Amino acid sequence: MSAPGSMMKRLRGIERLDVARGFALVLAGLFLGGIIHVAVVMSVPHFVPVTAYARAAAFGPDGVFNRLPDSRPGAEPLPMLDPMMLHAACRFDLDDGPLKIAAALPPPFWSFALFNARGEAIYSLNDRTSGNDGMLDVLVITTEQLSVLREDPPPGLEDLIVIETAETLGYALLRSFDGDPMRRDIKEAALAEASCRTLDQE
Amino acid sequence: MTVAFDRNPETDGLAPDRVPAILRHRRGHMWLSLAVILAIGLVTGLGSAYLAVDNAPAFDTLELGVWQARPLQGTTEADPYSAATHARTGRVPLASGEGLIFLARSDSAGATLSPACDYLLEGQAAPARLWTLTALDAGLRLSDTGAERSGLHSRQVLRRPDGSFAVHVAARARAGNWLPSARDADGLVLALRLYDTPLTTGTGVANVPMPEITRGDCR
Repeated sequence: MSAPGSMMKRLRGIERLDVARGFALVLAGLFLGGIIHVAVVMSVPHFVPVTAYARAAAFGPDGVFNRLPDSRPGAEPLPMLDPMMLHAACRFDLDDGPLKIAAALPPPFWSFALFNARGEAIYSLNDRTSGNDGMLDVLVITTEQLSVLREDPPPGLEDLIVIETAETLGYALLRSFDGDPMRRDIKEAALAEASCRTLDQE
Repeated sequence: MTVAFDRNPETDGLAPDRVPAILRHRRGHMWLSLAVILAIGLVTGLGSAYLAVDNAPAFDTLELGVWQARPLQGTTEADPYSAATHARTGRVPLASGEGLIFLARSDSAGATLSPACDYLLEGQAAPARLWTLTALDAGLRLSDTGAERSGLHSRQVLRRPDGSFAVHVAARARAGNWLPSARDADGLVLALRLYDTPLTTGTGVANVPMPEITRGDCR
């Protein structure tokens, strides 16, 4: 009489155990999923082939400011540029030496930003914050190069904005507000004059 | 001599303990279990990562009415989701020393902006030396409006005596301030770029005016 009862009890025990086992499996799966989620999200920026830095190479040689074509619908040189700005970009490699960037852009507004190879902004300023009468005069330099440069500082170093960075690859972007079509020639000429060159090192 | 007790304290310890059921070795189940764990892990992990990167969760979003800005996006301090989205799209951010991009995806009544509708932007823009307004599609590309200009900026906008303005967002030309939009575009997102604004430093975010968006006629 008691045999079927104990049988049922044992069966029920096995079922409960299997449910627990199933839960453990799902939980383990979810934990693994969490690890994969974090790993994938963190690694995406390192596996993107077409960064803004890579795209900027299409507009001309490295080490000079290249005018980007105007942003038009369906033909934006880089995504999310303001169509009411004139842009010039300069790709650089600090392994060639410190980079000196100079520009004298006309008012009413211009801005300058430095991006690393992953397209993240590392430094930026505009004509008001340049603190140099609306002129842009910056030196982009690595920490080692700066310590070498400090031993024999070139004249005028204290007038430059020195940007110390650990990133050796990147691009600089100049934006000049193009609100007045009559004055566009002046802005184009000023952008063409903008320089982005490696500082000579003896 | 030996007496067979049921439980002998002398030899009891020599016999292996009864293994609890959950620890008992089960043949052939290990690979199946691993496969199940791996399958669940891959599906949930990759799926959630794709969704998160495709549509980054809105951490550190600055909201002013319907306008949303993400001051940290495209900087080295951005959260990992924002960084992944940003890297994947290759967009050029407006750095903090330059300005701030505000995007509006819905009107002030909460309805998603539609390219088939006309809208009226009314009010004042947040303090900035210069601002530009452009119409983008859902992928944040410039909408092909067919109009000569692709936007409107603060120096050409006509204002009322109190400094406020009204901008008509419409596919057809309007009197007054007109921002051309594209009727057949894939979605509508309005981008208001504030250049040289104190908002980038995070100061004075309270009581900052931004234009209200009201829907007009739809087709």
